[in-house]
Parts: sequence; C-alpha cells; structure tokens
Amino acid sequence: MILLQLAINGVLLGGVLALSALGFNIVFGVMRVVNLAHGDFVVLAAVFAAFGFAQFGVNPLLLLPLTIVAGFAAGALIHHVLLRRLPGEVASAEASSLTLTFGLSYFLTGAGLAAFGGRFVSVPYLTGAFRVGEVSVPQARLLAFVVAVVLSLGFALLLRSTALGRAIRATSQNLDGALACGVDVDRVRTLAFAIGTAVATAAGTLMSFLYNLNAQQGVLFTVNAFAVVVIGGLGNYTGAVIGALILGLTESFASYFMGATLAEAAPYLLFILVLLFAPGGLRGRRAA
Amino acid sequence: MKRAAVPLAVLAIIALLLAPLRLNGYAINLLYVTVLSIALAYGWNIISGYAGYFSFGQIAFFGVGAYATALIVVNLHWYWMAAALAGGVLALALAIPLGYVMLRLRGPFFAMGMFGMAQMVRVLVTAVPATGSGSGLFLPPGSGITEVYYWTLAICLGAIALTVWIDRSAFGLRLQALREDEQVAATLGVETTRAKITAFGLSALIPGLLGGGYALFLTYIEPDAVFSSRLDLQSIVMAILGGLGTVWGPLIGGLVMTQISEALWARFPQIYLMIFGGLLVVLLIALPRGIVPALAARFARRSGA
Amino acid sequence: MPQMRKRRRVVLQAWHMSAPLLVVEDVSLAFGGVQALNGVSLEVREGEIFALIGPNGAGKTTLFNVISGVLRPDGGDVRFAGRSILGWAPHRIARAGVARTYQIVRPFGRLSVVDNVAVGALVHARTIGQARNDARDVVGFVGLGAYADRPASSLTLTQRKRLEVARALALRPKLLLLDEVMAGLTPTEMDGMAEFVQHLSERGIAAIAGIEHVMRLVMRISHRIVVLDAGRRIAEGDPAAIQTDPAVIEAYLGAPLAGAG
Ligand SMILES: Nc1ncnc2c1ncn2[C@@H]1O[C@H](COP(=O)(O)OP(=O)(O)OP(=O)(O)O)[C@@H](O)[C@H]1O
Ligand SMILES: [Mg+2]
Repeated sequence: MILLQLAINGVLLGGVLALSALGFNIVFGVMRVVNLAHGDFVVLAAVFAAFGFAQFGVNPLLLLPLTIVAGFAAGALIHHVLLRRLPGEVASAEASSLTLTFGLSYFLTGAGLAAFGGRFVSVPYLTGAFRVGEVSVPQARLLAFVVAVVLSLGFALLLRSTALGRAIRATSQNLDGALACGVDVDRVRTLAFAIGTAVATAAGTLMSFLYNLNAQQGVLFTVNAFAVVVIGGLGNYTGAVIGALILGLTESFASYFMGATLAEAAPYLLFILVLLFAPGGLRGRRAA
Repeated sequence: MKRAAVPLAVLAIIALLLAPLRLNGYAINLLYVTVLSIALAYGWNIISGYAGYFSFGQIAFFGVGAYATALIVVNLHWYWMAAALAGGVLALALAIPLGYVMLRLRGPFFAMGMFGMAQMVRVLVTAVPATGSGSGLFLPPGSGITEVYYWTLAICLGAIALTVWIDRSAFGLRLQALREDEQVAATLGVETTRAKITAFGLSALIPGLLGGGYALFLTYIEPDAVFSSRLDLQSIVMAILGGLGTVWGPLIGGLVMTQISEALWARFPQIYLMIFGGLLVVLLIALPRGIVPALAARFARRSGA
Repeated sequence: MPQMRKRRRVVLQAWHMSAPLLVVEDVSLAFGGVQALNGVSLEVREGEIFALIGPNGAGKTTLFNVISGVLRPDGGDVRFAGRSILGWAPHRIARAGVARTYQIVRPFGRLSVVDNVAVGALVHARTIGQARNDARDVVGFVGLGAYADRPASSLTLTQRKRLEVARALALRPKLLLLDEVMAGLTPTEMDGMAEFVQHLSERGIAAIAGIEHVMRLVMRISHRIVVLDAGRRIAEGDPAAIQTDPAVIEAYLGAPLAGAG
C-alpha cells in the first residue's frame, strides 16, 4: 500500500515538475540557452501567490492568469532588452548566456527577498485529502496536478496547431532551415522566452500548494527542470513529461526510503547518471 | 606600461605582506576575504576561462579542503598548515578521476553536472556522522587571522604566478585551442583529455588549499558555510567581470567587485543581492568580454592611431 | 589518344612502385538510418595527389572524419604507414602524420593566426617559442604573413581557408587531407591553391588526398580519383578514365527516373 501511496505522490509531483520543465525546455530548444533564472521565476510566482493568499485571501487559482501574463511580459522584456544583445560568436555565446541568466537569477532572488522577505511560505489551500481505501490523495496536490496537466495540454496545442508553434518547432529543429523559410527568428525567440517564463510562473503558482518556499529556493527548481529535460532529452517535449514523472517518483520514493537529507541528493545523482550514461536523454537521440 | 609593472607589483606585494602589522581586525578580515576570493577566481579561471569548461561546482573542492583540514586538526592534531596542504592534495586527488568522468560533458551539461556534483558532496558531508552530520565541527582555537592571511596570500600569489605561466606556455595554448574548438584541437595533435584533466586538477588544487585556511578563519565549519554558494558566485563573477581566460582578469575583477560589494553591503543590505545580480547583467551587456580585454582593446586602438 | 594512354601508363607504373601510405578497407558507417559509408575501400600512395569526388552527401567528409579518428566506423579497417589506426584518438593520428582541414572552416577565433598554427607546430617543437617561429614560417608560406598577429576571427573566408591549410601543414604531415579547400575561392585563387598543392606533392612534403568539386582542377592536377556516391565507391581511375566512366556520369546527372525503364 505504501508503495502505491508513494507512486501517487510521485506522479502528482511529476505533473507540476513537467509543466515547469516545459518552460525550461522551450527556451533551450529555440535559443540553446540554459536559463539559470528559470527556477527563480517559479519561486517568485510561488512566493507571490502565498503573499496574495496570506495578505488578501486571494485564491491562487485566480492569481494564475495574472502570474502568467506577468511572466510573459517579464520574459519578453528580458529577451528584448538583454538576451538579444549578447554577442553572437559561437564560442562565447553559450558562456555569456549562462553568465547572463546566472546574474539574472541573483537579481530575481534579491528582488524576491527584498519584496517578500526570507520567510518560508506556502498556500494553505485545500488542505484535506481524498481517501480511497488506505491511499490518501491530498486535494491540493491533485488540484495542482490537474491544472498543470491542463496547462501542459494547452501548451502542446499551441505548439502543434498554431503558426507560432510551428515556427517554434521549426526553429528548435533547424535554425538555418527556419531562417531560410523566412521565419522571423528574433521574434520567435522573444516569444519562446516569454512563453518559457510564463510557464515557469504558472508552475510556480501551483508549487505554492506543494512546497514551503522562500525566494532563495529558485536554484532547486532550475536544477529540477534541468534534470527533467536532461532525462527526457533536451528540446524533446514528450520526453520532458516522461522525465518529470521519473523525477517525481524518484523524489517521492527516495524521501521515504533514504530519509530527507540523503533524498536531497537523489535528483542530482539521477541527472548526473543520465548525463553520463545516456547523453541524449532516456529516449535516445544524442544531443549534437 | 610594461616597465612600470614590475616595481609596482613588488610594492603591492610588500604592502600586502606588511598589511597585518598595520590593520585593525575588521580591515584585516576584509583583506583576507578579498585575497581569498581573488585566489578562488584564479582557480576557477583555469578550467573555465582558459579551457572554456564553465564549472558551477569548484566550491566543492573548497569544502573538501576545509573539512579535510578540520578533521585532521581535530583528530590527528597536525599543525593546521600541514593539514590544509593535505586538504589541497586530497582535492587534487579527487579531481583527477572526477574530471575524467565529468569532462566528457560539454557546455551547460558540464556546468550543471558540476553543480549537481557539488550539491551531492554537500549532502554527503551532511549525512556522514564523522563530519558532525551537518551540525558542524569546532576547531581548536589558537591560530590567528594573521597566519590564515599569509597562507591565503601565498596561495593567491602562487595562483597568479601559475596563471602567468599558463598564459605563456604550450599547455595554455593547448587549453585555449580546445576551448575554441575541441575537435579541431584534437585533430591538430592536442591530447585534449589530458590537458583538460590537468586544468581541472589545478582548478581543484587551489580551492582545496584555500579551504583549510577558511576553516581556521571560521573556527567552526558546517556544510552551508564552506560549500558557500556566495563565495562561489563571487569568484565566478570576478573572473568574468575582469575578463575570462586572461592573466589579470581575476585580479582586476576582484578588486572592482570587492569595492562595489563592500559599498553595497554597507549601504543597501536589503537589496544587495538584487543590485549585485543586476550589475552583473549590465556589465555583461556593456563589456561582454570583461574589463581587461576592453582596456587592452582601447589601449591598442590608441597606440595604433 | 595514344599520347594520353602513354601518360596514363606512366602514372600507373609510378603508382604501383610507391608504397601505400593510407589503406582504407571496407569501411562502413551509418548515422541512424543513413548509410553514409558502405564498404568503401581505397589507397593513397606516397607522393601522390589523390582526389575523392562525388555528389553532395556522398560520404566524402564522413570518410575523412573516419580517417582522422573523429568518427569510429561500424566496420572495416584504416591503416596508415602499415599500422592499423582504427580506434586511435584523433591527436594520436595527427601526430602519426595525418593532417586534415575542415570543409566548413573552423578557426580558433580568439587566437591569433600564428597561435592557430602554433597549436599544430607544438607537436614537433620543443618550446612554445620554437612552435611560434615554425608557425610564422608556415603562415608566410601560405601567404598570410601580413595577418600573422591578427585574431583569426578577423580573416576573410579565403584567408580562413588558407589558415586551415597552414594549421594542417604545421603538423608536418605525411598525408594531408584537404576537404574542399577550393570552394569559395576566385578562379585565380583556385589556380594559386592548385599550384600550391602540386608543389607540396612534388617536393615530397606530403601526399595529398583532396575532396573537391571543382572538376577543372581535379582533372588537371590529380593523379588518381575515387568516386563515391551514396556511400559506395562507384569508380576509380585516372582523370581521363573517370571523365568517361558511365557510372560516374550517371551519378552526377542523377539516377534515371523511377519507373522510366
Ligand atoms: N553527424 C552526422 N549525423 C547524421 N548524419 C550525418 C552526419 N554527418 C553526415 N551525415 C549524413 O551522411 C551523409 C554523408 O555526408 P557527408 O558530409 O560525408 O557528405 P559529403 O560527401 O561530404 O557531401 P558534400 O559534398 O555536401 O560535403 C549525408 O547524408 C549526411 O546528411
Ligand atoms: Mg563534405
């Protein structure tokens, strides 16, 4: 029974991790940028939602549209003002985008600490649980999972059936080809980064049901997203969902069987092993 | 300019050697932390600046050095500098097999892989009872800040000398070639694996040696203090700001950064991190290659005209 | 015609007398579903100018990648100077005397032109100073003397092509693999490069194996040609024979339409 319970917890967590990772993945896929500030967007939204709930009793689900719009606007702005200006030389582009998002990450952490303080907060929302036999399904986790799945499906629909989605996928697969077909790559990149941050802030709002957080925990979510995407294969969207489930299950089982301290190492261990032994992700296809 | 450099450097070193005789406690602490982060920046600059392998995990070797020193001093009662030396050697010994494995990863994969590695080391240290299980270790009091300062200064000067040598050596040329294009370097006869691992080892030895001094400086160590992401961040930013893969980048970047950092800490403790991160972003846009290359370019343009 | 045949015999005699420097034997390599190389065999002899030609995507660059150790073939063997070099690391193959250039130029952008070349020169030089001196000579030799101390990123495409050759030459190779060094050059520059290649071969500096699309030059300077198409070797011979080979003509004109025959 405990195994089933752990599996359910893992899957529910995996759903939210998948949403967060999709945001990270689109940015990498389109721009080849590892966004080290990704987790900070997640955490900032979570802390913001907790703040709204505690101060004004705003239902975090109502905040969701707001955080999504804010995330989108912030992402578009950051790309337009900063990322776009990085030098394009191949050898240093990677290093400078890492450095830039690294600085951005500290900026956001600092901003979050200044605005919301360092206290760990969460949203005490739907604290009950459904009982099915001996298994309990926490309502908040279930809700977060369902919303995450809905948003992920919306994201998939956007990628599959809109002109923008096609342009994004084309750019992810082959930059030169996309350029040759007249895709406005700069615009696609701006939108991809904006969507990436919007997805991150959406995931963060849901994370506020699941975790006690302060603005300094962003790194955790960057690493999670990176781990998910590495497991699933960079730029591979279905892979990311599978990766998220694997990571969710790993965290759930590890914290039960290994204790909280050692379990903290589990995602790191998992992703280093995948990096070393299956460099293209578990679903094959080597990264170039 | 070149001719003025040598006497200037000699004067600076003499001043740094005499500093503890003149400075008060606060100032000497500040000087120690400055020298420490510059030395860390020099260590990071070898693997990340010269070889182009961005590491977000070199602080692990600093932590290993600190814990090794603390454990040796507490349990074996060695003189601390001997223990710190052993800590550095341990970091180097760990780095060679680790580098062999991790340096197969490239770009962001290596950067994040090393970050994950450092986190795992931190968690392991927290979980092992011999290290005080995360609640920390006390060191016997006795060695003053002056000793720690001289130790750190010696390593910092050593790291600078090492970098000067690398910059002019065949080894340094090989590192820069593989940074630009590893496959091409290999087909031009560069034994890339060996060069990378050597660079990685040196970039572990330096923080490994520094860690012991830091343990003594704190007199009490715990995982979060020695696997300090703040120190790690600071040294990385210094090297980037000054100019990645340049001899004087970490020093110039370090001096500029500590000035800014001190001023910010004192004036805006609340939004220190925010300004700090913002500044890094702005500087990167304004001087994408760092201060030293920007100055060099300006100097070249002026003397060329 | 008789004159032609005579020349051909002379060349072939010379070929049989010299020792094989590079032997590629039955090499195959697939990328996923694409069979880039399918049982390719060929030989390059000492002092020879050998050309590898074939339509786009034939597998020519892939074969160079296999020879230089960048890719490991699925099957077959590569021997250089009598020893199998299969599975050797690229740096070891380079040091053994096989140098290559890249079709899409890949300079070390932030290093100076001299330092780009000195990397290869380090293999023989005892000190870095000596490597830089040797590099300067080679840089002058390929006509980049005036740019020696500029960063390689400031070079034009033509100059970058020369830099590719200079870096490879600095290794003092016995075999030089040139991957489309003519592409993008003006006709005059091409003639210059052709002369340069002939000079290398005649002076016994290195055997040349070149991938080339510029047929005018291939036919003029190469001693022997192998034609690849879709990963297979479809022809081998001297320029005259290749020009009239029906399989080669078909490969270049495209396969007959499906269903047409
Ligand atoms: N790294 C790779 N991954 C996947 N497929 C590859 C790779 N390199 C080459 N190919 C494929 O292998 C085939 C042979 O490519 P190769 O570059 O060797 O051709 P080529 O003869 O050099 O052509 P060109 O004249 O255009 O340079 C092509 O179908 C190409 O798409
Ligand atoms: Mg080719």
